[in-house]
Amino acid sequence: MSTENRNIMVQIRSVYKFFGQLKALDNVTLDIYDGEKMVIIGPSGSGKSTLLRSINKLETIDAGQIIVDGLDISNPETDINKVREEIGMVFQSFNVFPHKTVLDNINLAQTVVRKRSKKEATEISRELLNKVGILDKANEYPGKLSGGQQQRVAIARALAMKPKLMLFDEPTSALDPEMIGEVLEVMIKLAKEGMTMIVVTHEMGFAREVSDRVLFMDYGAVIEEGTPEHFFKNPTEERTKLFMSQIL
Amino acid sequence: MAEVKKTEKIDKKKPVIAVGDGPAIPSKEDVGLFTAWRVSIIGALAIIAYLAISKPDPYLAILKFVPDGILVTFQVTIEAILLALLIGLFTGLGRISKNRIINGIASVYVEVIRGIPLLVQLFYIYFALGRVVNLPAMVSAVIAMSVCYGAYMGEIFRAGIESIPKGQMEAARSLGMSYPQAMIHVILPQAFKTILPPVGNEFVALLKDSSLVSILAVSDLLRRGREFASESFTYFETYTMVALVYLVITLFLSKLVSLMEERISVD
Ligand SMILES: Nc1ncnc2c1ncn2[C@@H]1O[C@H](COP(=O)(O)OP(=O)(O)OP(=O)(O)O)[C@@H](O)[C@H]1O
Ligand SMILES: [Mg+2]
Repeated sequence: MSTENRNIMVQIRSVYKFFGQLKALDNVTLDIYDGEKMVIIGPSGSGKSTLLRSINKLETIDAGQIIVDGLDISNPETDINKVREEIGMVFQSFNVFPHKTVLDNINLAQTVVRKRSKKEATEISRELLNKVGILDKANEYPGKLSGGQQQRVAIARALAMKPKLMLFDEPTSALDPEMIGEVLEVMIKLAKEGMTMIVVTHEMGFAREVSDRVLFMDYGAVIEEGTPEHFFKNPTEERTKLFMSQIL
Repeated sequence: MAEVKKTEKIDKKKPVIAVGDGPAIPSKEDVGLFTAWRVSIIGALAIIAYLAISKPDPYLAILKFVPDGILVTFQVTIEAILLALLIGLFTGLGRISKNRIINGIASVYVEVIRGIPLLVQLFYIYFALGRVVNLPAMVSAVIAMSVCYGAYMGEIFRAGIESIPKGQMEAARSLGMSYPQAMIHVILPQAFKTILPPVGNEFVALLKDSSLVSILAVSDLLRRGREFASESFTYFETYTMVALVYLVITLFLSKLVSLMEERISVD
């Protein structure tokens, strides 16, 4: 897919992040285009989550610049809540709100942040629940749901904000194998609708089906990037080859 | 993958805050304590009844004299606990704040309060307040009690908030909620379950400690007893009755707290 004349959604410039002595992000520079689907892979501890979490400032970077949809989030003056409204995030551990019903999980930020009326929010929530295939669970509490269903609630909750960008941090790795499919299916649907997505995952089938670009990270740095085909057929770096042979 | 699931399970386990200084709160599993509760309550009520009937002078007279004081004791306790909850909420939030100054103030407050005996604090706050403003004894007493208990409440709030997995705050913030919005809608409602049992303990403890305000010209249960005793010179009989009435009240409250706890753990 050509990226020549598309707007840039996320600009990441020479970003560093330290945890004490540990360099979690090491001079990362990257552009993510409007409508692009990027998959990030890499060994455990390579900085994938840290990079993703820096994009909505769940982690504060130590050096460099991150610009999301024209807003410089590395600038402390920027109202981060406004930026986060436009960025949906899906976590490995779902993080649904256990004290609220499925419907209220999805309504909450709509009413509190987007200031939609309860009626309007409920309409949007029900539509999204239908889309992720669990409309029948609207009035259940999350504790009654399977992992796959909880993760779909989390996706619907993020989508209800009508975000411009969705971040997924290993959305299927806490799931039993039989539930991975139902979550990936929702993500594929979303990708086909043109959502800009950055996905940390080792589901290479998903990468091959929807992603425009795959990024391989190790020790906090971007080691190699290319199309999924490139990674399957002829990765150039030794570390990438080794990693691909381990996950395939 | 396996590791992630394990932490998930741990997160789901209900966190419990252990508070050592509360009264014995009976629970269903604790059969021995449950019986002890029954024996105590029936025993106390029986002795009160027996004394009042067999020796109405002075026992019945005492019983008729102290109810005003019981009301005052409840008034002090309830007002102080409500104010202490408010102070505790802000202290707890301060204790987890990343802002050094706010955190420092909250921490010093907790340390100082925990390091001074309650009776000394009561005197101090009461007379310190007296120098600045002229408040009714009752108001000063309530403020003094709640400042003391607010520190303990603060620790309960802190522990309750910290018992909520940090993913909850992250999920709320990633949806664009501000920190206060996330606290109000996501964290505190969940922390409530963990906070309520120790708050119940504190309530009963505060009721007992409220007897200290009798020294500050507040006509609570103990002071009414003292007034009666000093006029009739029946010190032993009066304090026997006062002790029994305190016992019955705290036993009933402990039971109430444990019922409430059971109710909550069922939901
Ligand atoms: N809050 C933190 N405090 C200290 N060290 C951290 C923190 N978060 C991450 N790290 C460290 O930073 C490095 C990068 O972590 P990160 O979570 O980004 O890796 P990852 O690629 O997402 O790994 P995984 O595949 O295991 O999720 C790791 O060495 C990790 O231990
Ligand atoms: Mg990670």
